[in-house]
Amino acid sequence: MSVLCGVALSASAAQAPQHINIKQFSTTVEDVVVPLPNEIFGALNKLGTVNWKAHVRSDKGPNFTERPRIALLLGTVIADGFIAVQAEDAAAVKDIGQRVLTLAKGIGVGDSITPHAKAITEAADKRNWENVRRELDRTQNSVQQAMNEVHDEKLSQLVSLGGWLRGTEVLTSVVTEHFSADGAELLHQPDLLSYFQTRLQAMPEFDVPILHQIQDALVAVKPLIDVGDRSIPPESVKKVKDITTRVGRGIVTRD
Amino acid sequence: MNDFAKILLRTGVLLLALLAFHRSATASVDDAQSFALQAAEPYVKQGFQVREDYWGGDLGSGEKKAVRQQLFKGNEYWFWLGTEVDKAKVSVHVYDSDGKLAEQPDGWEKGHFAAAHVIPKATGSYFIIVSVEESPEERTHWALVYGFR
Repeated sequence: MSVLCGVALSASAAQAPQHINIKQFSTTVEDVVVPLPNEIFGALNKLGTVNWKAHVRSDKGPNFTERPRIALLLGTVIADGFIAVQAEDAAAVKDIGQRVLTLAKGIGVGDSITPHAKAITEAADKRNWENVRRELDRTQNSVQQAMNEVHDEKLSQLVSLGGWLRGTEVLTSVVTEHFSADGAELLHQPDLLSYFQTRLQAMPEFDVPILHQIQDALVAVKPLIDVGDRSIPPESVKKVKDITTRVGRGIVTRD
Repeated sequence: MNDFAKILLRTGVLLLALLAFHRSATASVDDAQSFALQAAEPYVKQGFQVREDYWGGDLGSGEKKAVRQQLFKGNEYWFWLGTEVDKAKVSVHVYDSDGKLAEQPDGWEKGHFAAAHVIPKATGSYFIIVSVEESPEERTHWALVYGFR
């Protein structure tokens, strides 16, 4: 490790061109690493104090049998874990850790989660929030890797989507309460939204109403956040909040 | 050299050749990822949360690839690139969606490790250009990880 510290200090980057033509890269990597909710929450925190406790949600919610619904809910619950960490609510974090484990078992990937759920509980007991954040990321990654290994990539994408929707719901809720242009700018994620749209369109076999509602929601959200260099106004933030809250309610509620 | 010594020598050479072949055949993006994570390790102490997820693939000498990533204004990011081919030279640079260099000047390259530092001026998509500048291998595995604070 110290060798690399030395490397960082002694080695400098070769001169990179100041401008490039992005379009020349026909070999763009298609894989998308979806930002974690706390990546957005961290940026939001720097804009002012947020009452994270108001957004903590740790109720058990319903048990679904449809795998796509479980996957969506799982992503949402992991995002709730990040919110509970922001609020430094150890009890909620522990409840969420157990809920994640139950949901993961529901889609057959419980084994890969058990050590992380244990680590989340231990870190929450010690109020070691950095470790809880890391374990939540590991949890999501392990769930998705386990799904990918059994060729359930689509369920894996639904986990990411569930997390993104819950993160966006909370982001818009916070920014609606205390509007700032910088806070609203955090919604500027059109490529990520397009990525989710494309993935959802490739899941015709998952014929569950909530996925159709999410597709419609993404269509409605896109023009509100795809504004180029312009600012996202308070009305748009409010609209995105209403849309994502409605969809979020659908994810945690039985049809 | 007696017959036994000759057989021993030949077997040894064969085993070494097999070992080298096995190493190159089984080297993977996962190996490259461990090197990228090694490059990231010192930054964890500085408060960077390194993501578990990563990008990876293989490139020929002189080839580049673009990775698109959503970054948020207010956060600070490091991207670390690594390969298991220790005689390779790699580089990583970050551009905004207009193709303008968007990285801080403290990025670095050292053989099979490279890193780029970004403090985004705007929230949106950025392009991380990874490149295998030189390599003794025909194809070189690479892995890119990132961290934020």
